[in-house]
Formats: sequence, C-alpha cells, structure tokens
Amino acid sequence: MKRPLFNLKSYATALFAIGLMTACSSDDNSVTPEPEQEEEQGNEEEAADSRWITVAGAKMGENPGDGNGGTLIYSVTSEEAKDPTVQIDPFNNGFVAPSNRTARLQASEDGNTIFNISYAGDTGGNYTKYLVNGGNDFEPTGSEISIAPYVGTAPRWIKLFDGDKTGAAVYVSTEHQVDDNDTPKDVTDDNYLYTNSTIGVVTLDLVDSQINNFQEHVITLSEEESAAGYYISRIDMPVLNEAGDKLYIGARVSKVDPETLESDSDFEILGSKTIVLDYPSLLNPTIITSTVGHGNTNGYRSINAFLYDGSVYQANQGDPEGSHILKIGSDNQYDDSYVFNLDDALGVEGAYILAWRPAGNGKGVLAYRHDGSEEGISGRGQSFFALVDLNAKTATKIDDIPYEVDFELFQYQGFAVDGNEIYLTQAPVGKDGNIYIVDTETGEVTKGAQLINAEGSHFIGTW
Amino acid sequence: MKNIFTLITLISLVSVQGQDVFGTLSGRVSDTSGNPLPYANVVIEGLNLGVLTDDSGFYTIDKVPFGRHTLAVSFIGYGKRSTTVDLGEEARTVKIDFTLQENVENLDEVTVNGKSHKTELETKGFAVNAITTKEASLRNIQTNELLNTTVGVKIRQNGGLGSEVQYSLNGLSGRSVSIFIDGIPISIYGSSFNLNSIPPSMIKNIEVYKGVVPGHLSSDAVGGAINIVLHKGAENNLNASLSYGSFNTLQTHLNATYRMEKSGFTVKASAFHNYSDNDYKISGRTIVDIAPNGVETPIVARRFYDAYRSTGGMAQVGYTDVKWADQFLVGVTASDEYKEVQHGTFVTKLPYKGRFLESDALLGNLTYRKKDLFVKGLELNINGVYGKRNRIVNDTVAQAYSWTGERRIGFDGEYLDYIWDSQNENGPTLAKIERKVSSVRSGLSYAINDNHKILVNHVFSGIDREDSDEMISLLENTFQQTSDLYKNIISLSYELNAFEDKLKLNAFAKHYLQKVLNTQPVFNEDNTEVIDEVYNSKVDYTGYGFATSYTLVPTVTLLASAEKAIRLPSENEVFGDAGDNLLPNLGIKPETSDNLNIGFRLGKFNINKHGLTLGANFFARNIENRIGLPANADALRDSDEFVQYTNLENTAESKGIEGEFDYSYGNNLGFNFNITRMSLTTVNSGIETDVPNVPLFTMNASLRYSLHDFIQAKSQLNLFYNAYYTDEFSYKFSAGTNTAGEEEFLIPEQIAHDFGLSYTFPKKNFVLSFDVKNIFDQAVYDNLSVQKPGRAFYLKLNYTINNF
Repeated sequence: MKRPLFNLKSYATALFAIGLMTACSSDDNSVTPEPEQEEEQGNEEEAADSRWITVAGAKMGENPGDGNGGTLIYSVTSEEAKDPTVQIDPFNNGFVAPSNRTARLQASEDGNTIFNISYAGDTGGNYTKYLVNGGNDFEPTGSEISIAPYVGTAPRWIKLFDGDKTGAAVYVSTEHQVDDNDTPKDVTDDNYLYTNSTIGVVTLDLVDSQINNFQEHVITLSEEESAAGYYISRIDMPVLNEAGDKLYIGARVSKVDPETLESDSDFEILGSKTIVLDYPSLLNPTIITSTVGHGNTNGYRSINAFLYDGSVYQANQGDPEGSHILKIGSDNQYDDSYVFNLDDALGVEGAYILAWRPAGNGKGVLAYRHDGSEEGISGRGQSFFALVDLNAKTATKIDDIPYEVDFELFQYQGFAVDGNEIYLTQAPVGKDGNIYIVDTETGEVTKGAQLINAEGSHFIGTW
Repeated sequence: MKNIFTLITLISLVSVQGQDVFGTLSGRVSDTSGNPLPYANVVIEGLNLGVLTDDSGFYTIDKVPFGRHTLAVSFIGYGKRSTTVDLGEEARTVKIDFTLQENVENLDEVTVNGKSHKTELETKGFAVNAITTKEASLRNIQTNELLNTTVGVKIRQNGGLGSEVQYSLNGLSGRSVSIFIDGIPISIYGSSFNLNSIPPSMIKNIEVYKGVVPGHLSSDAVGGAINIVLHKGAENNLNASLSYGSFNTLQTHLNATYRMEKSGFTVKASAFHNYSDNDYKISGRTIVDIAPNGVETPIVARRFYDAYRSTGGMAQVGYTDVKWADQFLVGVTASDEYKEVQHGTFVTKLPYKGRFLESDALLGNLTYRKKDLFVKGLELNINGVYGKRNRIVNDTVAQAYSWTGERRIGFDGEYLDYIWDSQNENGPTLAKIERKVSSVRSGLSYAINDNHKILVNHVFSGIDREDSDEMISLLENTFQQTSDLYKNIISLSYELNAFEDKLKLNAFAKHYLQKVLNTQPVFNEDNTEVIDEVYNSKVDYTGYGFATSYTLVPTVTLLASAEKAIRLPSENEVFGDAGDNLLPNLGIKPETSDNLNIGFRLGKFNINKHGLTLGANFFARNIENRIGLPANADALRDSDEFVQYTNLENTAESKGIEGEFDYSYGNNLGFNFNITRMSLTTVNSGIETDVPNVPLFTMNASLRYSLHDFIQAKSQLNLFYNAYYTDEFSYKFSAGTNTAGEEEFLIPEQIAHDFGLSYTFPKKNFVLSFDVKNIFDQAVYDNLSVQKPGRAFYLKLNYTINNF
C-alpha cells in the first residue's frame, strides 16, 4: 500500500481497524432551526436607506448554464451592491440554499428575510425562513413546516404581494378520460372524451409558519377544447387581485392526439388562460381566456404576474406572435383592449419573456430573448434586458448593460426593488459580471459591484 | 511436479505384494470447501501400496491385506492426514473420506506452496477477488453483506433485507456493473432471484472482476462484473439451515444433491424462503409527524410498511461425471417475491403505505460441460436459460399516512387522501411488465499444450418486453411503444503460460452486437385495427484488453490488466420514449471506458505459525462519450418540448488504490483488513468536481478466532468480529470552497461493528450461529441518506449430511 495517499485521518481510522476502537457517535446531521426569534419586521438598526441585496447564483451541474449544481446566495448592503469596487463571489463564499434542485427563493419586501420551499429530494416541500445577516450568514428562524402532504415534494410556489404575509403553492395532475363503449377488450371502438386536471392550492402564513388553507378542484377546459385534446398540464404563479378577494393562477395548456392519446407537439395554440379562485376560501374555480395573447401564463421560475394600479399584469410565454403582457382588470376578466406585444414594442421576432418586474411606478425591467438571438455556450439564445412601461406599452432594450453571446437569463428569478430602483445581475455563463441598478423612472443605469463567476455557472438575480 | 508424483505412485504400485485375504479401501479427498482434490496421493504406509485420486477426488485401493493399516493422504501444498483402519471379515470394504487443508507443509525439507482456487484466480492478472462463501454460509450473513466487505466493492442498499441494491466497483455503479449467475446475466432472472434472495450457502464462490473482465463473462459494462458461481459439486449431500432474528426476519434454505455412483444420474435441488418485516427504527430530519397546519414534530419512527418475502428454488436432473459429459443437467428455476415500499428514492416526510412490488420468474435451464471432448485439451461449455418473468407495481391507495404509522389528518379535520390518488406522487398505477427472456452462454476452449490455450465464447441475451397498466385506458395502453433488446457478444481469448508458470497472459477481443426492436402500434387507415410498426437499430462495437501476471519469486507476483470497455446505449437512449418527451437518437454512440489496473501480491509469507499476505491494486478509469441529456433538457421538458439523449462531451475519471492484508496464526486466528481510497471526478469545462453520492474512502476489518474442543470434545467454536468504515460523503456536488449550508447534503462518517459466533457440534452435522449486527446501534446509510437497520440479533441452525 502506498503511503503518500494516507493522511493523518487515515492513520487514525486504520488504527481503529486493528482493534483499538471506541464507539463513535456523532450523527447530528439535522439542522435544528433556531427557536423563534424577534420578528424580522422589527428592523434592526440599519443605516437609514440601506437594504440587504441578496445575490443568487446557479451552479453548473452536468453542462454549462444548466444551473443544476445548486443555488448559492450571498448578501451585501445596497451601498456595497452599488459599489463597483466590491467583489461578490457566491460560488466560493455563498450559502447553499437547501434544495435538491434549483431553489425557488422569495424575499420579504424589505430584503431582511428569505423564504424558501425546497424542490424535490428528501426535504422537498419544506418551508424555511432565514434572517439575512449579511455575507453567507442566513439564520434559520421560525419552525420548519411541510406542505408536502397537500401539494407534494415538488411544489411550485410564490409569495403573494400582501405585505409578506402569505405564500401560495400549487399542484396539478391530469387524467385522460376514455369511453370504452362497454367493450373493455376492444380498442377500436374506444373514444377519447377529455382530460381532467386536478389542482391543489395551499396558502401558508409566512409569518407564523403554518398552513392557512388547502383546497382541491377538478377542472376541465370547454367542451370543444377538451374534446380536441386540450387540457391544463401545469399551473403556477398565483397572484392576488387588488380587492384581495380573487387569486389568479397561471396555466399551461397542452394537447394530446385524441386518436392515440400520445402528446402532440405541433398544435394550434389557444388563447392564454388563467384560473380564478375566490380568496381566501380558494373555492369556485373559473377559467378566463385572453383573445389578445396565446400561449402559457405559468411562467418559469420567476414571478410572472404583478398587481399595478388596480389591475394584474401578466406575461405570457410560447406565444406564436411573441410574448405579450396581458392585463386582467378589476372585474377579474382579461382586458382585451389592452394590447402590449413585445415583438412590436421591441421590434424583434419571437420575443420570449424570461422574467420581469415592474416597480411601483408601472415601469419595470424585463429579461427576454427572441428568435434572432444567437445561440451561446449552453445551447440557449442570448438574452437581453429591456425597460418597459405598462402605461405607455413601450419596451426599450437597455443598451447601457454589456451583452455577449453567452449572456443568458435562463432560470432568472429575482429583481430586488428599492423604490424606483431595480437591481439586476449581469454575467455571461461562466464569466464575471456586475450588478446593474436601473432607475426605472429616468432609465439611468448604474454599474454596481463585481460578480465573480464560476466555470459554467450563471447568476439568477437579486432579492 | 504432478508427473513426479505419478511416477512415485506408479513405482509404489509395481511393488505390490500378493496376499491371501484382501479388502478394499475407497473414499474421496477434498479440500476444506468440499472441492475434489484430483491426483492426491493415497498410500498405505509400510505396504508400498497406493493410488492417485481421480478427477473427482475419488480413490479405490483394491487387494489390501486384512489387518490394521495406516492410510495416509497427501497433496502438494496441502497438509498430510493419516488414519488407522482395521480390515477384516466384518469390514471388507471400508470407505474413508479425507479433507485436506491448504497450507504449507514441510515435505522432505522442501517447502511447497499450494494454490487454492481462490489464490489461483487472484494471481492470473485480472483485478479480481474471489469470495468464498464457506464460512459465511454457516452464519447469519446475506450475500450482499458478504460482497460489501470485499475490497473495492461497495453495496448501496436502500434499506433493509430485500430493498433495492446497487453495486459499485471502484466507484462505478448502476449500468456500469454487470452481474451474472454462472455466466448468465442476472437481469434474465429478474428481481425475485437475485443477490437479495439467494443465500450464500447456494453459492460456491463469487468472482468480482474490476474494470477488466475476461472473455467468458463478456457484457457491455464499463465498471466490471460480478459472477456468482453456484455449487457444481456432484457429491451426495444435504444441507439445510434456518435463521431467525430481529425484525421478524426468517431465512431458510435447503440444498440437496444425489448422484448414483454407477450411472452418474444426478439430482440437485435447492430452495430458499426469506421473510422480514424490516420494521427497524429510524430518525432524522425527515422523520416527523406533520400536523394538519404543516407544523412538524420530530419523532423516532418504526418503519411500518417495508415487509419483504421471497421464495424460490432450483431443481436439476441429469448426469455428472459420465463418459460423454462432465455435466449434463436440465432443470427449472422458479422464484416469487413480494416487497412493500416504505418510501421513494429519498426518505421524505411522506411515508408510503400501500405501494408494493411483486415479481416472479419461471425459467428452464440447461447445462452441458465436457473436458477433453473428442481430443485432449478441447473443452465445451454450454449454459442456457429461457423463460418468463413478470413484475407488477401496485400503487392505488390514496390514503395518507404519517411516520407515526397512523392515518394523516387533513386541513379540514378529516382523514387526508393524497390529491395524486396514490402513495407515489406520480399517480396510481397497476403497471405490469411481462418479459420473455433468454440467454445462452457457450464456450469452447482448446489447450494446445500446457503453455497455450485458445478460448472462444459467445453470450446471447434477449428480452422481449411488454408493458401494460390497468389504471390507464386501453387506448393509452395500446399505443405505448415497446422495445425488445437482443445482445450478442463474441469473444476470443488467448492464454499463455510461460517461463515455468511465472508469466501468465490472457489477451482478448470482444465483439458486441446489439439489436433493438421498437414497436409502435398505430391504427390502420380506417381505424378498424391496430397494427404494429416495427423499427430497429443495430449497434456494434469491438473492444479488447489483456491481463497478465509475473511471479518474480514465489511470494511476489506482479499483476496488470487493461481493457477498452464499452456500454451500449439502452432502448430508451436509442428510441426515446414519447411518454417521457424523449426523442429517438438513432446515431448515438456507445459509452467507452479505458480501464487500467496495476497491482502486486506479496505472500504467503510463513514465519513459524504466522502467515502473511499483502496485496494492492492501483486503478484508473476514464469514461468517454458518456450518454446523457443535454444542458437545457430540464427547461425543454418543463415547457413540454422534446429532448433526446446524446453523447456528452465531458468525461468522468476514477483513480484510486485498494489494499488488502491477511494475517493468520496457525489455524486458530485469522485477521483481514482492506482499504479502498479513490477519486471519482468529472471534468466540466475544465473544472474537476467529485461525482456526488459516491463514498470515496472505505475500510473493512475482520477477525476470526477458533477454539477447538470447546465444552465438548471434537467441537469447534469460531468467534468473529467485523468492523466497517465509510467516510463522510455528499450526495450533491459541493458548490465551492468557502460556502455555507453544504452540511445539508452530507452523509456522515459511519462505523459499524458486528460480532458473531458459530459452534460446530462434535458430529459436524450441526452448526449453530449467533450474530449481532451493528452492535453499537449506529446510524448507517448506504444511499442518499436512507437509514439502514440498527442493532439486530440473529440465530441460525445449519444441518449437513454428506455421503448418504
């Protein structure tokens, strides 16, 4: 046996094997959250205007830009975030968000608390809350709860904009209904009827860490649509209306071939749909459909719909005419007089909204790519940021941010909003970059702290 | 050497003197594992009367004068044993069997070392371990546990008896490792007849080939192969055992062989039955009781839905050691298994109750073996299996249970039923997979002389698979595509023995041929009939390798082996799966791996009664063209788009060292220690990262002490002590050097201790064993932090009769 391969530990453990062993009992691998501490709302003595800015990076798993190697977070003050001489290196110094796959993080509006529900794995469906103490110090607070019994270990959830009080998680499963004409053995006379979607919705109290409500419903699209094989296959991105009496849930519509029940991939895209539920009872589901936009409204990782000025503005994806921002009015119906098409606004073909976020003034930042985007290292198209105005229905590419072909905003999740300012992360896959601060009112762009990247990894936003 | 002995014996025979009254002495000579010792010298001392045993270890000495004689048996490298015998009118023919122990013996002041089958195999050049099951078969030890203590082998088992097992050889696992039963891929037998169910007493030995696999075991595995060699012996015996212990674990086994001496007609039968509740205690961060409002209380839970039962057997009839065949047997293997599933891959906070798996298999088999067929040196081997196996996954219970074992209360105060209508979140299923399986292994070898041998081997295996699920409509079932897989592997090997057996070389080339038939049912034009559209894909590939050893001095052997190994793409990887949004990729290339082993073996050194053996092996694996999904697969699937398997650009690399140390003192004390340390990394755009969920550092130690004449004369008491060490490892890629929160994904360092004793009663028919496993009740894990049983006690009774 070769000596150089052995370290001191090996010697020690080898010694045990020869017989001089003592029972060792250290298996404290469980993270016990700290007992309930002072509420996070009780603002610690921070500098007057300062706010924590938490930066998230998605580490490469198998391939550059896949983000499957885990999510790492690191916090700095807003002053530091704005200082181009500050370096932030979450991949070497960050805190690993406890999720088997990419975590879906949420932050309190003041940036002092991070909320997480881990996705898949043994802790899937766990809700945890951390106090942001700066750097990689995220202090568990409140009791850990699980929503898994209701919505499974891979729930899709989002924080509602009700003053950090409530989160909502959703689940859907589908079942094809077939009429076998009372001949269970004969397939030739079997007829496809429609596909049911069973949805489950949980609302949880983020402050007291407990579940507020849970309901499940079976929903089916209209007779004509469902008979053709259309059904709701995924739901996500719940958002509250202004009155706080309805919850909107984004939906993706898929289709099967009614002949063989195999998935269709090339089919006519229906008008964008949203499920509307009474709130907080989560009862009486209805489906509303847009005539302006076509395609899905369930987003990806980032919040896809926001309340502004009494209406909810919702992005859609996979629209054959390019992504739209759609408007749901205070009457809880799509306002089809509001037409905001990104292809037209940006002057591109096949715009695809990856993530977006308006500030309180109705102006915001939008991450997108389009059909003309060049393909980068990860096989996805190059991404860009644009400044959007919900009232003027305009979108302008932000040219003060440097772009290159490997810059992509896949999995982009978070936009820290501080007044009219929005914090962005800009870094091509595997390359260093910077935080940029966009003043949505003036359109002014400030270059902030430097972001140190790791090979194949990328940044997915700020909170 | 053998020839000299023959000569001596011949000379002895010539000088036989005639006497008036004669008797006959006969019997059999075997080693301690029951293997026959051919060409052993059997002499009647003082009479110059003697013979050599035949191929099966039998001897007969006719015309022995009446009277008291001393019969002595010796074999080169084995001990010498003698016994006195009285021949007379009452005892004209006497049968005496001898068992010789492999050791070092001073014969006429010359020390000669003998080689057991184990030693011989381990010095051929391959990185191989031969595991003998003799000792373990008497104890409360499962086959998997036995393998786990072998250097370089790590068993990753998802829980207690009967739970899913992954075999890892030098860090490579899953489809990288092939497992065989007598050279037939274990996948043919299915999950009901595998290493979880087959008891060690049915097994003669286990060969573990790491990285480089000889021609006769060819398969497309890049990591190596494990071959289970079942008992071949044709001597009459009956062996039965019964073991009972913690967690209501019952393991029984019966094994019998009967051979008619004159005709050679042989009947062999073996049967096993295993059962366990596996209701051991677990705790940890996911073992909690969840209140209706989501609030959790950590508890220590007893697993409540994890029972396992397997029953099976094998029966063969035919002829052994007859003129036209060394072995000709036809038979049947039948097995049946039931397994409750307590949780998925991870132990989540949602335990299952009501999901179970059933599988059964019924296969016919045929074995033919003949040495010196037609001409001397030509050997033919045929082993074939054909049959059917079924597997059912049953998951239709929607009721939610807590880790307390009680039904879960929902938010509305009523009992909660899962929204997904089943225990697993993927929805209810009654999936049935029916497979028609066949496999034929044939080998022809020709020894040109003592120095050169040529071997041709062929392995065919075919799986014709049909899936259905009662929980989905016939329409969906009908249009599910199915794939049939056929593999042919032909190998050509050349074996060289040169420089008086000092140099051994085995060079081989393997040709792999794989055919996948993909059947896609479609309606005919007027929708009156369903017709099958069949597509097929053929892949072929040639690999090669060698193994060599050189004995510098009898106690120093150098070993080296290398192979360009491959793994052929699976049916999913070639044809995709519409249900899983996978597109076919007909041009996908096989995964290849360059495997290298360099090692040495020192010993056996004998100083007085101390015996010492030392071995080490350095290994390296480099896997290219890895088959996987592309970078954006998750995102594409999330948006219902289609993806396909491709050959990834990044390679995976494994490097390491393993060492083994054996010490014995006389026949009383034995100590074994082994250690494996390695790195398994994958290179991603220039960064080297540890592959997660692979233990990189393991050690095992075992101590045996034998006491003779304990309590009763002629009895034997063996005491055993084992310790296992696994270093801490992470089941996720570690993110950075200075990061926080990584402990969430760590599986802590583990040390477990077992103690056992076995007592052989004076008549040798009964052996009683007692084992305590995990004495200190440590939390041990094999896989993704799934906790394994704590302290457990087992008692076992073995009964054996020979030569009835």
